[in-house]
Amino acid sequence: MGDRPSSPPGSVDSDREGDPIVELIPLIRRVVAARVRDYQLVDDLVQETLARVMAARHRIERDTLAPYAVTTARNLIIAVGQGTDRARRKAHLLVDGAADPPADHDLLQEEETSLVGLALARLSPAERDVLLAHEVEGTGTAELAARREVSPGAIAAQLNRTRAKLRVEYLLADGAVVPPTDRCRPVLFALSTGDRRRQRELDTAGHLLECDCCLELSVTLFDRRPPVEVADEARVRVTVDADVVTARQKGREIAARAGFTPTELTVIATAISEIARNIVKFAHRGEIVIRMIDEPARCGVTVVARDAGPGIADVSDAMQDGYSTYRGLGLGLPGARRLMDEFDVASEIGKGTTVTMAKWRNRPAAIPSKMTSEGPPR
Amino acid sequence: MLRIGGYLIASLHTGLDDGQLASFRRAIVDEVGRGETRGVVIDLGAVDVLDSFACFAVWQITQMVGLRGADTVVVGVAPDVAFAMVKLGVDLGNARTAADVDEGLNVLQLHPHADPGTRPGCSVRQITGKAACRW
Repeated sequence: MGDRPSSPPGSVDSDREGDPIVELIPLIRRVVAARVRDYQLVDDLVQETLARVMAARHRIERDTLAPYAVTTARNLIIAVGQGTDRARRKAHLLVDGAADPPADHDLLQEEETSLVGLALARLSPAERDVLLAHEVEGTGTAELAARREVSPGAIAAQLNRTRAKLRVEYLLADGAVVPPTDRCRPVLFALSTGDRRRQRELDTAGHLLECDCCLELSVTLFDRRPPVEVADEARVRVTVDADVVTARQKGREIAARAGFTPTELTVIATAISEIARNIVKFAHRGEIVIRMIDEPARCGVTVVARDAGPGIADVSDAMQDGYSTYRGLGLGLPGARRLMDEFDVASEIGKGTTVTMAKWRNRPAAIPSKMTSEGPPR
Repeated sequence: MLRIGGYLIASLHTGLDDGQLASFRRAIVDEVGRGETRGVVIDLGAVDVLDSFACFAVWQITQMVGLRGADTVVVGVAPDVAFAMVKLGVDLGNARTAADVDEGLNVLQLHPHADPGTRPGCSVRQITGKAACRW
């Protein structure tokens, strides 16, 4: 650790009271270890933090030593992260030209601080207290839980929710956006927390079809989340022609997992293509969700295509061959119905259209459990 | 797009959008005007799905090429795609078809200006004695 400095001016009389710096070590270690995986790097960062705190201890009051140490540790972590990124990006260059922070760095920091302040102001006092205690003062969840007589898990969950809320408020403050409807904030919050059940309850996807403001913000909120591979489902946003191809390729992939034959896959892809083109031509924006169903009673795919477009005035008309509002071609609905096993259209003028289709396999997906070493059951 | 003597071979790729299709159509029709073009082979081998939009687009090309005095043969429709097309209820109008590019050129060279009333594929089977599509 190195020798303790011998009575620098203004320092606390450390021998008798127990060195406050030493007392900080567990706190710093916990803060760093929570954010950095590599244990050697954790050690290095703890050392560096302590060194800096020790260097500055003569001008810091005892009460603020802990927050100072926590902030120093976190800044170091960020700097290391940025340094690693930059090193990786510029590994091939001989001279790193961007070593100095850009000129507007301070201005941006100031702006960001005020935005964070605005966002924090929108939290409830209780939420804000817990968040600041944890993030700024470095209080652990166990202690926060004990103080409030709840479980540490509850505190951790509350912190996640508070962070999610902060993200939303920060983005709103950053864009100086006022959400147009009452639905917006709950939807954005559900997206920020990544709570799929809540998203389904609120029908966030439906809201995003109607609300441009939330759609833009959702892009940033989605970027944050780690990609979740749900193997049995694909969601494709459909706005341009290229999305038609994406939708039918994803459809093929999901349907392939259900075990359809190549011919059936092409049939399903064709049906998806017809419906997707409808969305592009008439609704301009929509979403297609392809799901694989693998249950004992049935195995296959469902395709739900919905849009917030003009709607279809008379569905029965549209379901007749040759009915068209465009270019001499039909709307593709009767065709898609012929290709699939189940087909349903729900539409409301001015609200939008939802097409639901399904195709089932004739044979089960799983290997029959009665298969024995003697061969298939007779 | 390839040119072999008086014949053009044009391959359609999957995932064409309106804009690309328009340029493709334009390119073929322009090229037909250059020199003595007797026929065009449209190769659909790289297309994964022929929905009503794509079929209509192919039909448009055959019509436009016909107006410019050349024949069209559509080749390369995969068996799966053909099955889906039939189930969907679309066809390529009165465009003639053949199994692949070679057969397509064959058809154009040996049997120009087919009767517009014939159904696609039938004329080839009758005349060449071979199956028009390999299933």
